[in-house]
Amino acid sequence: MAKRMGFAADRVDSLRTAVSEAVTNAIEHGNQHDSAMKVVVVFTGSDEGLTVDVADQGRKILDHAVTERQPDIHQVLHSDDKGGWGIWLIKELMDEVQFSVAPTGGNKLRMVIHLDR
Amino acid sequence: MSHTQATIEMMFPSELGYEKIARDAIGTLARNMGFDAERVEDLRTALSEACINAIEHGNQRQAHLRIHITCTISRNRLVIVVSDEGLRFHPASRLATASIEQKLAGLASTRGMGLMLIGQLVDECGFLPSRPGQGNHFRLAMYNPPRRSATA
Repeated sequence: MAKRMGFAADRVDSLRTAVSEAVTNAIEHGNQHDSAMKVVVVFTGSDEGLTVDVADQGRKILDHAVTERQPDIHQVLHSDDKGGWGIWLIKELMDEVQFSVAPTGGNKLRMVIHLDR
Repeated sequence: MSHTQATIEMMFPSELGYEKIARDAIGTLARNMGFDAERVEDLRTALSEACINAIEHGNQRQAHLRIHITCTISRNRLVIVVSDEGLRFHPASRLATASIEQKLAGLASTRGMGLMLIGQLVDECGFLPSRPGQGNHFRLAMYNPPRRSATA
């Protein structure tokens, strides 16, 4: 969809990575790997860019502090949990990122990527 | 992907062009399921045709009406149902397909070539039973390995 909207190849790759990270987070953390629970992804295109909402059905509500944290490479290397990079990466790749509660009660991540015109 | 049955749903406006996005997404899904490249191309073409039918006929190109696609994935089978909101309703019973020879000889309507093409590309296809007001629901299924080869 982004390719068809006119985004450059590197921006399409950034979006692919960001959406992949967001959906993985929703499956693993929000929905706790329960395949009966849905992840809803809504793409809304406009002249300005593309908005992607990724919502889970939220067994585990995202800790707000996690969304602000910068991962520390030394801490991550010495920790059993090698995760924690996804949200940081999404924020690096996208132009706007917002976290909120989805209508279903789960987590909703909204990311926006702008068309450079 | 796990080997248990899973469902993926997609929805888009009834505007020509969106079927290409569905085609790309489902092509990727089929490739990840292990379908070979030729079968993936067949499925992409069949799905495009089904979506265009739903946009043009079922929803009469009214952009605010939605096309809904449900993909059900199991170990060796991919089932896709393309649904419209049925501004123009196609009762499944009225879609007895004429042969290409009948169409070319002028003995049957030249419409419905898309459905004929889809029938050549996938292992199973056809409209699901529905009533006016419930929309049209067109089902396509592909098996891996192909069911047609298995029974040939």
